[in-house]
Amino acid sequence: MACTMNNSISDLLSPDWLTSEHSTGTSIMAVEFNGGVVIGADSRTSTGAYVANRVTDKLTKITNHIYCCRSGSAADTQAIADIVNYHLEFHEVQLGEAPLVKTAASVFQELCYNYRDQLTAGIICAGWDRRHGGQVFNIPLGGMCVRQSFAIGGSGSTYVFGFVDSNFKKGMIKDECVQFVLKTLALAMSRDGSSGGVVRLGIITEDGIERRTVLGNELPRFYED
Amino acid sequence: MSILSYNGGCVLAMKGKGCVAIASDRRFGVQTSTLAMDFQRIFEMGPHLYIGLPGLATDTLTVHERLRFRLNLYELRESRKIKPQTFSAMVSNLLYERRFGPYFVEPVIAGLDPVTWEPFISAMDLIGCPNMPEDFVVAGTCAEQLFGMCEALWEPNLEPDDLFETISQALMNAFDRDAISGWGGVVHIIEKDKVTTRMLKTRMD
Repeated sequence: MACTMNNSISDLLSPDWLTSEHSTGTSIMAVEFNGGVVIGADSRTSTGAYVANRVTDKLTKITNHIYCCRSGSAADTQAIADIVNYHLEFHEVQLGEAPLVKTAASVFQELCYNYRDQLTAGIICAGWDRRHGGQVFNIPLGGMCVRQSFAIGGSGSTYVFGFVDSNFKKGMIKDECVQFVLKTLALAMSRDGSSGGVVRLGIITEDGIERRTVLGNELPRFYED
Repeated sequence: MSILSYNGGCVLAMKGKGCVAIASDRRFGVQTSTLAMDFQRIFEMGPHLYIGLPGLATDTLTVHERLRFRLNLYELRESRKIKPQTFSAMVSNLLYERRFGPYFVEPVIAGLDPVTWEPFISAMDLIGCPNMPEDFVVAGTCAEQLFGMCEALWEPNLEPDDLFETISQALMNAFDRDAISGWGGVVHIIEKDKVTTRMLKTRMD
């Protein structure tokens, strides 16, 4: 009884958006297709329950052909992405050619695993390289790194595991992948309070990235009374 | 994590010219997980008297039922419809009875006096402290956002149609900045001769 009373009083003295960390609550996703990858994310950054940014860009460039989708603490993932960006730029100069996607994923893994106790970062690293084509690597909280044909992440992903497992087909073409990502993210955003806003898409192929933004009113809508 | 933000939700009410409006979102969820988009938190307590009960959903239902019980007995004994000011006092009493183990709701009341048709709004905290301003009242997990929107958009003596636009925009833009409110909206415009209820088409995220 005492605890619940204190909750209400301290709530009045200090609302939780003053003390909470910025979190990209999030729904993120990436799908491989023959010739590249499609990556997608929602656009909500929340501080507690307050929506601090409703037009966030969670698709961050690592190289021209490698991007990452960020979920978890906004500060942690931004810092990690900056460091990986630095390492890859340096590596590209030394190598003399565009780096491989698995190299980027490996750098992410090294950071996320070695600093696992201090970080809250769930990252999907995806892109295209000349040797292996389109690839998606999922690097969740503890720092494991695994290649998958498609990956979902963030708090909103929990609501759509069943949907993606039943709707994914091998050998989808680019436009089918785009629709798959849009539907999945729309469903996740509809159920998860920490996800919302617009869907930011990226289609990465040999020619670089094509970015799209799908606004809230253009997203697929599902059963509602 | 505050118990008042476990289910999420918000309500606001505004005074207009010869009318009042009350509006709420329709989300029912458990922390960040949305479970329903058709949850009712505004209840009709009389032909021109509405109460909104944002806060813990179980207490929303219970307070509504207990209040309806007390109101029915009042109307049987008095043989007349209750005045909004009296109803507000009744709600305040019900909440203060539970001063040291309160209901986790922050009621918002909107209505017209059954005799003079004077517009009336009031809000209270979870232990029944009433507040009866001349302009608008807000409550819920996005109360701060609602205050900002109302302060910017409200002006006195709005006609019913203009009041509808004002209250809808205030509600929608406020709950779009709250992760645990939204998923639909409902607005009641209460005038002397009719009550118009409209569902708002909103972002469902």
